[in-house]
Formats: sequence, C-alpha cells, structure tokens
Amino acid sequence: MKYDVIIIGGGLAGCTAASELSAAGLKVALFSEGLSLHDATVGPASPKAQMHSPYAALSALAAKGVTVFRGDSIIGACLSEDGTSVKMVSSRNLGSEPLEAGAYLLATGKFFSRGIMSNMEKVFEPVFDADVEFEPDHEKWFDPDFFAPQPYEKFGVKTDAEGHVIKGGKSISNLFAAGQVMAGGPMSESEIEASGKAAAGKILKKQ
Amino acid sequence: MIIENTNKEYDVIIIGGGITGAATARDCALRGLKTLLVERGDLCDGASGRNHGLLHSGARYAVTDPEGARECISENKILRRIASSCIDPTGGLFITLPEDSLEYQAKFIQACLDCGIEAEAISPEEALRLEPAVNPALIGAVKVPDASVDPFRLVDANILDAVRHGADLIKFREVTGLIKEDGCVKGVKLGDSEIRSKQVVIAAGIWSARLAEMGGAQISMMPSKGSLLIFGHRLTRMVINRCRKPGNADILVPGDVVSVLGTTSDKVPFEDCEDMKATGDEVSVLLQEGIHLVPALSTTRIIRAYAGVRPLVVADSSASGRNVSRGIVLLDHEKRDGVKGLITITGGKLTTCRLMAEMATDLVCEKLGLKIPCTTALKQLPGSHKRKGGKDPVHKRAAVGRHGSEADMMDFSGKGAGEIICECEQVTRAEIEYAVKNLGVRTISDLRRHTRVGMGTCQGSFCISRVAKVLAEVLGTPEKAQELVDGYLQERWKGMTPVLWGDTLREAEYMHKVHRK
Repeated sequence: MKYDVIIIGGGLAGCTAASELSAAGLKVALFSEGLSLHDATVGPASPKAQMHSPYAALSALAAKGVTVFRGDSIIGACLSEDGTSVKMVSSRNLGSEPLEAGAYLLATGKFFSRGIMSNMEKVFEPVFDADVEFEPDHEKWFDPDFFAPQPYEKFGVKTDAEGHVIKGGKSISNLFAAGQVMAGGPMSESEIEASGKAAAGKILKKQ
Repeated sequence: MIIENTNKEYDVIIIGGGITGAATARDCALRGLKTLLVERGDLCDGASGRNHGLLHSGARYAVTDPEGARECISENKILRRIASSCIDPTGGLFITLPEDSLEYQAKFIQACLDCGIEAEAISPEEALRLEPAVNPALIGAVKVPDASVDPFRLVDANILDAVRHGADLIKFREVTGLIKEDGCVKGVKLGDSEIRSKQVVIAAGIWSARLAEMGGAQISMMPSKGSLLIFGHRLTRMVINRCRKPGNADILVPGDVVSVLGTTSDKVPFEDCEDMKATGDEVSVLLQEGIHLVPALSTTRIIRAYAGVRPLVVADSSASGRNVSRGIVLLDHEKRDGVKGLITITGGKLTTCRLMAEMATDLVCEKLGLKIPCTTALKQLPGSHKRKGGKDPVHKRAAVGRHGSEADMMDFSGKGAGEIICECEQVTRAEIEYAVKNLGVRTISDLRRHTRVGMGTCQGSFCISRVAKVLAEVLGTPEKAQELVDGYLQERWKGMTPVLWGDTLREAEYMHKVHRK
C-alpha cells in the first residue's frame, strides 16, 4: 500500500497533522494503537480527551478521507542502506504487507503510550530505534519530590532543525516527529496541537 | 483502648508497635498486667512492615543456626494454630541450581530433620510440575513447611487482643525520655507528659539502642539494611528458596496477589535508619539473583522497592563486633547494667515473635514478683476464630478474606457501608471505619497497612482520591482530604523511583498526569 504520508500514532499530534495534511490534498494513512484519543498520548486527565467520545476524533478523520487503521500499530521499519531514509514500514495487523510513503510522521507519545520505552539500562524508541535523549544515570531520571517537574518527562527522540528524526547520529530525511515523542516537554495540549501542525507544515514543504 | 494520654500507673509500658511490642503487649495483657504500648508512628511502621512476610519453617537456618531453626519450627506450628487468618500455608521449596551443590542439599536435609523440620527431597521434574516458574535448570529440590504470613495483620491481631484484654495504646507519640528515680526506671516521658509504670520494656527494633541509652544502659547494635522488591503477580504458589548458604535475593515469597523478592544485607549507619530506601545498586543485585531463581521475574512488573532494618545485636562477649546474633536477645538491664525496671527484647524474627513476647513477659512477671503462666500459644488471635457458617454478602467477602472472623466486627448495616472504595482490593467504607476506630489509622499509608487499600494493581492511582475523601470524613476532618492524597502519593513515589523503568515508568507518567497540580 502506498500513501503520501504515514502517520504513526492517533493522539492529538498525529490527528492534528493528519487533518492538516489531508486538507492539503495528500493521501494520508494513520495508525492508531488505541481506538480513540482516550488511549492516546494526551493522557486520561486531559479535558480534550474526555470531550471526544470514543471513535469521534478518528471517525472525523476518516470522513475527511484519511485511511485510519484502528487498533493497529507500526512495529517495524526498513531503512535505506545508508540509514538516511525510511523505505517502508510494517504493521502488526497487516503483517508482511509493505507500507510505503513519501514521508512518515512519528507521533507515538512518551512512556504511557509506549512511544518511548525503557528498561533498567536505557530509554529507547521501539519502532525505528531512533536516537533518544535521556540521562544515562538512572538516579537522574526522577526528582524525589513527586510534585516537582520530573526529568524523565523530557526524554524523547532527537530531531534536527528541520524536524527530521535522528538515528545513529544521522538525520532520516523522510521521517518527522511530532508531539510528546520528541525530546523536551512536557507539552501542554495546545503545544502538542501546534507541534502536529508544525510537522504537517514541514512535510508539506518537502512534498 | 486507644488513648492520647493518661494519669494511670501501669504495671508495664512497652515501647514499640512492631510485632515484638505487639506480641509482648498481648502476652502482658493476657496475664492480667496493666499494660500500655507506646508507638511513635503507626503500628508496623519499622522492620515489622518491611520484610518478606515469610513464616520460616526454620529450614533456612538449619545448617547455620540449629537453635534458631528449632525455635522457628516450633513457633511456625503455634502460629498456624493461633493466627490462621494471617497465614497462607503455601509450603516452601529449596531449589538447587547447577552451580550449587547436591552435597549441600544432603547436609541441608539432614540438618532439617535433626531440628524436627520435615524436609522431603523431590525430583527436578516434580518440582517443575509443582512450580513451573522456577529456573528449569534446577538439579534438585526439597519441600519444607515454610509459609506466607501477613505481618500487618499479625501485628494488628496481637494489638487487638491486647486492647481487648485491657491494654492501652498510644500511637503517634514518641518516647522522649525515661523517668528515672534512684537509678530505677519508673516510666516514660512523652514530651511534656509523663506516664508511670513499674517496668518498661523496650521493643523498638533498631531504635532500642537509643532508648536503652536514655535509661543509662548500653546496647551495641548494628543496623543491617535489607531491601526487597514487590512484583505485581503471584508467580509461584510456594515460597522459593535457594538451597545453599543464605545469601542475597534468594527468597521469593508469594503473598496475597503479589510476590516479594529479597533480601540484601548491608551494614548501614544509624542515621540512615529513619528514612530507609532501596538503592539502584540493591535493586540490580536483587533482580540479577532473583531472575536466576525464577526467570519470569525479568518480565514482571515491579510494584515497588522498599527497605527495612534488621535490629542485630553485637553479642556482649564479642570485642570485635563480628559476633553478631540474629537470635532472640532479651536484656535484663537490672542484672546487666544496674538499671532497675528496664528490659529490652530485640533481635529474633517475625516467626518467633510470640516466643520473644513470652520470654520478655516472663521476665516482667519475675520482676513484679508474679507467677502467671503464659497462655498465648493456646488462645487464638482475633480474626482466627471459627466463624458461623452461611454465605457472606459479596461486599463483605474480601474483608473476611483479609481479617477472618474480625470482619464480623465491621458494621455493614449503615447506608453506603458496603460501598467499594478501593476496587483492586475490594475495600469497603465499613472496613475503613473499622480500621480508624480499632487501629487508630490517620493517613492513607496507615490505612494501607491495615486494610490493603492501594496495595493492589493500581497502587492507588485510580482510587486514592475517593479513599482520601472517605477517610477524611471518617476522621471528621473532610477538609484534609487533599492533604491525605498528597502524603500518599509522595510515599508511593518513594517506593517507585528505585524501579522507575518499563511499566512502572509508564504508570508514573500516568500518575503525574492525573495527580500533579
């Protein structure tokens, strides 16, 4: 299957970008692990998430012509030999079916949504194994005061000035990131939305 | 009765609301002594609430400490009888891995049998059939009568029995000094107030050294920190041990719906004892060893890490400080230090709490010139009495599972009394009311110890605001609900940070989104 853009993640950032890109006439596919914004990166306490009835946000996108894969997620990617572009990705439900696009947008959120994962030794990004910014010393992942800002909330994938995701120190020319999956933050909802819009803008510029 | 202060003069004041103090208070009260127990915080707040929850068969000590092993098996049998509601008779398995020796296993079995501990060797295949989660590389296994015991419930049961036999309880007040007249201890000071007694028993774990010093007696103690991990599933049915000389992280105890892995053993300075926290290095050691015992631990969610302090006493005869006893230490400070009216009971194990209490109470009676026999081994503890037949209503069943016959003391008749407040552990409003009234609960962490609120899968993430509202109402201070929530979250965070990765980190992000202002 071929698309102009494949968006990975149906949270606020992914949905916002999908909406912008399809409005600009691009053929967009969106993979949403959960069924709605309820399961997405914005988190359960978000008034925005609660406003949307289940399915509403994704249904609205589908109505706009976005191909929405609900309950599916991208689990593998194939990069060019020099590692600077994504050739195709594959999803859990579609198995070996190659999914190709001109551009890919990583919008999988941070830890809760498994956009960023961790074990005892490290923090990693599971789909592309992109470079992740984090503290190597586990003691520096958290503040002992529960209510203080937490360092782990800033962990996320590295991007270059043009918004490309970085892997192995090199920018991937057709892979972008939006929302909380990026290093920095934590973002407010309006910042996540703005980040989705900005990523869409960068993708459009490139097309 | 739970009291704040009193002018009454007691026969005996016991300092410390852990298992040793609670069991001693029970014994004293059962023998008819006018008894007061003073605890500076909540019951079970020290080592008694920070251990494996293992009812030793004694097998672990059979080779290295046969005397301790005999005490364990004898007390193990007694507690099964008198505290059945606190005990889950899981049985225990000592597994031999390829790098351990089967010669040691043979020695181990003989040592167990010599101490009167049933020990039956079974084949590795049989062991795997019983416990599919243990390391399949095992080359031998021995079945022993270990069990899982809920230390919180055991302390509560002893306290409840003491109080019902006339003992008084003061919580959340620290002993700041001892009343001394003519070289004789005559009671305790709690800040500005004084409470008098004929005897004072120190049962304060590692803090006993400081209290004894207030009375002019010296105890040389060595704080030994032990860290443990709680996993979010019950991975085995039995207690799993390594069949080798006791080492780090070689015991996994199933308790309720979780598994507890421990422990480490490290000497720490006294000043660290106030705020015990498992470190990253300790967590690494625990995981490395634990995964070797039960490989599935590597993929199981770790709910929390915690640490306690073993109150080890350096034996009097030892000048080097190396000869450290893990056995029961009963100190008659009159004989030993010339301080009349003061006794210390420490060391020992959760399993031997009743025996420790008996020894301490025998000495108290001797000092008071009384000859009253101990009956604690004969009488069932509250919760462990036989209940009337018949089906309980659904909302009461979890309480019965936790508290046994004590659940019948809870008032489920009022409006909303059967309302479930904590879903994971099915704790109702009636149970919260019971805990406040009978056990002097003040915070959510206290409530956790006495009802298991917030000990389940969600660890309070979902229910804690509701729990706080109900607790604040029952306490008569509804405006304090948010304060209760904040205190709980900070305590929970302390247990999460050493294991903050994987699913625990996911959960942390969720908690921060929901609960941080």
